[in-house]
Amino acid sequence: MLGLLAGVRAWAADPAGITFFEQKIRPVLVEQCYECHSAEAKKLKAGLLLDTKAGWEKGGDSGTPVVLPGRPEESLLLRAMQHADPDLAMPPKQPRLPEATLADFVTWIRMGAPDPREAGGAVARRADKSWWSLQPLRPAEPPAGAAPHPIDRFVDAALGPQGLARNPPAAARELIRRMTYDVIGLPPTPGEVANFARDFAADPSRATEALVDRLLASPHYGEQWGRHWLDVVRFGESIGFERNVIIDDLWPFRDYVIASLNADKPFNRFIVEHLAGDVVGKDDPAVEVGTAFLVAGPYDDVGNQDVAAQKNIRAATLDDLITATGGAFLGLTMNCARCHHHKFDPIPTEDYYRLRAAFEGVTHGRRVLATPEERARFAAATAPLKKAKAALETEKAALDAIIDARAKAEWAARPPTRPKVDPQLTEERFAPVRARQLRLVMHASSANPRAAGGSRLTEFEVWSAGPDSHNVALARHGTQAAGEKSTTAEDFAAAYGPQLVNDGEYGEQWFIGTPAVLTLTFPREETFDRITFRNAKGGEVADDKFRGATPCEYDVQVSADGREWRTVASSEGREPWTPAHGVERVRRAILTAEERRQLSDLASRLAAVERDVKAVPPLREVFAGKFAQPKERTFVHKGGDPLKPGEPVVPASPAVLASAVAGYALPADAPEGERRLALARWITRDDNPLPLRVLANRVWQYHFGTGLVDTPSDFGFLGGMPSHPALLDYLAGRLQANGWRLKPLHREILLSATYRQSGGFRPDAARVDREARLLWRFPPRRLSAEELRDTMLAVSGQLDRRMGGPGFRLYKFTQNNVCTYFPLDQPGPETYRRAVYHQNARASVVDVLSDFDFPDVAFAAPRRLNTTTPLQALTLLNHRFTLDLARALAGRWQGEAAAQVRQAYTELFQRDPTAVELASASRLLTMHGPVALGRALLNANELLYLE
Amino acid sequence: MRFAPLDLARRRFLGRMTTGLTGVALARLLGDDLFAAGGAPHFRPKAKQVLQIFCPGGASHLDLWDYKPMLEKYHGQPLPGAETEVTFQGKNGNLMKSPWAFAPAGRSGKMISTLLPQMARHVDDMAFIHSMTSRTNTHGPGCIAMNTCFTREGFPSAGAWISYGLGSLNDNLPTFVSIQDLRGEPPNGKANWGNGFLPAQHQAVALAAHQPLRNLVRPAEISTAEESATREFLRQANAAHASDHPGYDELRARMAAYELAAKMQLAAPEVSDLTREPAHVHALYGTADANPLKAAYARNCLLSRRLLEQGVRYVSLYCASRASAVDGLLNWDAHKTLKADYERHGPIFDQPTAALLTDLKQRGMLADTLVLWCTEFGRMPTHQDGTAGRDHNPDAFTTWMMGAGVKGGVSHGATDDFGRRSVQDVATVYDFHATVLRLLGIDHEKLTYYHNGTNRRLTDVHGHVLERILA
Repeated sequence: MLGLLAGVRAWAADPAGITFFEQKIRPVLVEQCYECHSAEAKKLKAGLLLDTKAGWEKGGDSGTPVVLPGRPEESLLLRAMQHADPDLAMPPKQPRLPEATLADFVTWIRMGAPDPREAGGAVARRADKSWWSLQPLRPAEPPAGAAPHPIDRFVDAALGPQGLARNPPAAARELIRRMTYDVIGLPPTPGEVANFARDFAADPSRATEALVDRLLASPHYGEQWGRHWLDVVRFGESIGFERNVIIDDLWPFRDYVIASLNADKPFNRFIVEHLAGDVVGKDDPAVEVGTAFLVAGPYDDVGNQDVAAQKNIRAATLDDLITATGGAFLGLTMNCARCHHHKFDPIPTEDYYRLRAAFEGVTHGRRVLATPEERARFAAATAPLKKAKAALETEKAALDAIIDARAKAEWAARPPTRPKVDPQLTEERFAPVRARQLRLVMHASSANPRAAGGSRLTEFEVWSAGPDSHNVALARHGTQAAGEKSTTAEDFAAAYGPQLVNDGEYGEQWFIGTPAVLTLTFPREETFDRITFRNAKGGEVADDKFRGATPCEYDVQVSADGREWRTVASSEGREPWTPAHGVERVRRAILTAEERRQLSDLASRLAAVERDVKAVPPLREVFAGKFAQPKERTFVHKGGDPLKPGEPVVPASPAVLASAVAGYALPADAPEGERRLALARWITRDDNPLPLRVLANRVWQYHFGTGLVDTPSDFGFLGGMPSHPALLDYLAGRLQANGWRLKPLHREILLSATYRQSGGFRPDAARVDREARLLWRFPPRRLSAEELRDTMLAVSGQLDRRMGGPGFRLYKFTQNNVCTYFPLDQPGPETYRRAVYHQNARASVVDVLSDFDFPDVAFAAPRRLNTTTPLQALTLLNHRFTLDLARALAGRWQGEAAAQVRQAYTELFQRDPTAVELASASRLLTMHGPVALGRALLNANELLYLE
Repeated sequence: MRFAPLDLARRRFLGRMTTGLTGVALARLLGDDLFAAGGAPHFRPKAKQVLQIFCPGGASHLDLWDYKPMLEKYHGQPLPGAETEVTFQGKNGNLMKSPWAFAPAGRSGKMISTLLPQMARHVDDMAFIHSMTSRTNTHGPGCIAMNTCFTREGFPSAGAWISYGLGSLNDNLPTFVSIQDLRGEPPNGKANWGNGFLPAQHQAVALAAHQPLRNLVRPAEISTAEESATREFLRQANAAHASDHPGYDELRARMAAYELAAKMQLAAPEVSDLTREPAHVHALYGTADANPLKAAYARNCLLSRRLLEQGVRYVSLYCASRASAVDGLLNWDAHKTLKADYERHGPIFDQPTAALLTDLKQRGMLADTLVLWCTEFGRMPTHQDGTAGRDHNPDAFTTWMMGAGVKGGVSHGATDDFGRRSVQDVATVYDFHATVLRLLGIDHEKLTYYHNGTNRRLTDVHGHVLERILA
């Protein structure tokens, strides 16, 4: 089976060789040789092809290979390029290629001339139902061997044939650092290291067991391993896509994951809760919250009127659920069967839609999670308030009815004398008046008879009296416009503002805020006798839906000093926008003093009740998804196109595992919750080999850096093959025997000699197995983004260890229809919590975390990347975070320079400095102060790498 | 056994390197990591660098590039066969001609909107693709589809793929730079220039004339002497640590990253320092224009040229930003008041972009630089019900290319008489990027990266090179 893979991913066998070929050799061949020596050459010279491996193996007309792997000096290709023989100098009629290029060819040939260009390519191959990962678990007995620990015997059995053996045990400091990071994601304290070293010297086994037990019992364990799981389930706290609105009530899921891991909840139950927590844990918020898994992925919530687009969006939304479920629990790329049968795995496209049928009734959104007691308490607390509020509202309605009756009668007696306000152009004339200021006090808009806030104006003009009447309101005349606006665009300060009404253009609108008053201040006293205003964006829009509401009840007032205002015109006499506007206008005029008092009294009592209502803590809503019985049957989408329904499917188990696991099929109209529960029960059946294998492999991966299968969410044909197949099944079996609990498995792995061996490098072993996939040493690693940030905080004494609750943010969040996330320049102590509590918004970039490969959680990230970039250096050297922590760090050191340096090395690296380090660090500290030393050490490789 | 024989030779090769590395070697050391590059080039490259100009909001093909005499003739009449069509924001009204006349330009006589008088001077160098189509009618997914070929986020942008496939051309600046408009990010923001699942070094670095590279500058309280003492101390500490940990190349790679960062600290402010440009260049671009949005965009145009000159592989330049509560205010999304909106956006775009093209041409940079103009989709030939604007139209839009390897003064494909749909030689974003990759010497079917079960490509499982526009 291993042989199959060679043709699929040629480079996998020799990534370095292929990389070297691709970067150094192929470009030269393409540039310099293909013109005459390739299938596309206009005239092939000497019958020699250099565009395939077979070409140089066969050679040209001479019939001998032009490259002899391992023997550059005998290879004709290189001799020609070196111009060794004047009759055969290539490329022709040119000087020799640069020495560096020729040296690359020497290197390449010496490497064995790795070349992925197979003629015609590998024959397409794929897995069938006999694929290894789909087979039942094979109860695996550890092979024979000297090692007492079963895991070590499996490992040794793979090392032996390669002539390899494990390293000796790690030293105490190395081991406690490795284990502490591994299990709780934090560095050990200097005291912990010292104590462990002492105990370890006395009895390494007992000391190690005690350490393992202490770490697994720490509540920080759930934070570290919960973070791993959040990666697997693509947990992100904004909706993604265009609007990318932040989600502030998804964190309970994060806390649930942490608590479940700390409690060592059986993973089969954990999985059932993810898929159907609302069914198995109805009215138990601690269980129901699990369904947030379903909706923790990105989705598109932009309204779309186009029906085809709506169907595509829904299909994409459910695709996220199906992808997440297949990857996280089954290690299957179900999503590849959305448009056709899976190209590489035996997953028919129907399987994809069987899963879709399970999720058909799920929508993104929040629901109340509360116990029956909480619901009852809430009802008891709010019922009397609601009653009081209703009584006040009745009282007010009665009073309003009396006033309105009077107003209506009065209104009927006062027919309008002037036309309606015209949004395109409304004019008010009055006797010439001289003033420094003018204001428009707006009472109502075309959308609301009782308030003008939220309506809009394009332009407001004030016309000078006398001949040559001109607009004195214009900004370029020196007039200033002031007023509140109802909306903002944070990155475009001028947007929607009142200055748009006196810019002389009929383009942009002022979005009128509350109070709805426009105040114009002229540069000097002006004499005028007319105002005009319009709400006609661009002068073209005829439709209120797009133009927005227009102010239609108003007073025009003037003032000399901004204190005393005199009304010179108003909407009085105009036909009202609606009869209700007319009644409201009269009402403003006819209220008696007593009625005013009564209304104001009622308003304040109502406000008080509303305050009390708000003061009752609401039932908690969590973004855990909403469920409804699907209205339509589920169909296969032909070619993945929701507009092309194919055969109907029912909620049922995917056929891909039919030979290993007993399946199920529900009726087409099965109740919604039952569909998800049936799927969950099927996934967690004890005879389903995939979830156990996948989970055991994840545990191994997070302990050793690489899984036994190095593609943790893909156990299919394109995924990796297990390096130790029997060990994988052994671990899966142990997991099952332990009731799907992780902690016993952790303990078993952590106590193996394989885990406890040193990370020391041995060139001879590295020649055989550079990356130590066979575990002849413990593979060294870089800290993850979270571990790095948490470490910087911990070693400088700043880490805030409070667990749970709403997350902190390393960005500034703004919303104007769509949302934008700006990284913080000055993160304060409120951000000094563990990184697992960061509210990770999608498509946001935050310093340190993003730089060190925190993934954009658009997808599951079952395995983190590990990059090294100059931007990391810039951030760690220059960001305020480093500087603040360097200062905190330095503030803790005391005494002479040497004493301070010793404290520094103890706190950061849990060891004493060497004599050389002591000298150079003391020098830096003396010359430039302790903060400089702190900054340097926070950047040191030793802080970031672990062996 | 597939995993056992690992990259010994490369490691040996790297192992010989000590501190005297050249910058490009440093970049390679950081760049290739453990991942195989895509295997480029597969063809003789015509272009080495890319300048992508992106006008977000769905810039109207009908009011900028795609001349439709029938639209003028039938102005005010219903679009035949589509009287009740519902698009993104709802119902549509009758056909609406462009508020701007079209006029012939250049030797090719290409008809182009009089809204863009300066851009008109470049038509003889441009290859228009008039038959573009998109899979989505929504801005965010549309923008990322134009940049990544996928409508959902999380996929690498073309610039990231090209960085992954071809690596860096310089030793002191990023490979891929994204220049955002003063008004903010385009729809779906960072997903437009992200690395997706590719290693992080392939993401774009955000930089603009108004926005320096993040964390580039040494904090003010640290003196030069302190900085160099700190760096020297750090270098020694890391060197000692590395020699205690043989066989761990990452340690040396990270030391190299600090050296590169230091070079970047010198080079980035220099390349961003527009005062080094003479007055006539500033005048050409319009960097001192009274309209602050135009002046800001002009400065970004000038910055683009300077970045390309210094060997930045891929520059993404945005003209306008995202959707706001008011359509068409911050970008080209003219739903309701096309004329007013484009009277704002057109002049911001026209002179500075035309100046950038002129400048590139005069300096001979078009020999190596491929210029792309993009938007996420087009607009309807009808006006939106009750308004004087156009709704989204994913079935037809225009993009263009010019520069290295591109035939000038030609057009690929066409829309129907009214510009409602692409009908002739219909093109997709996959075709667009297949063509871009071809010009860079890459076979779009061969540049792949394994992720969560699939060997991913920029062009998904689609794409045909638009041979007709290749020079």
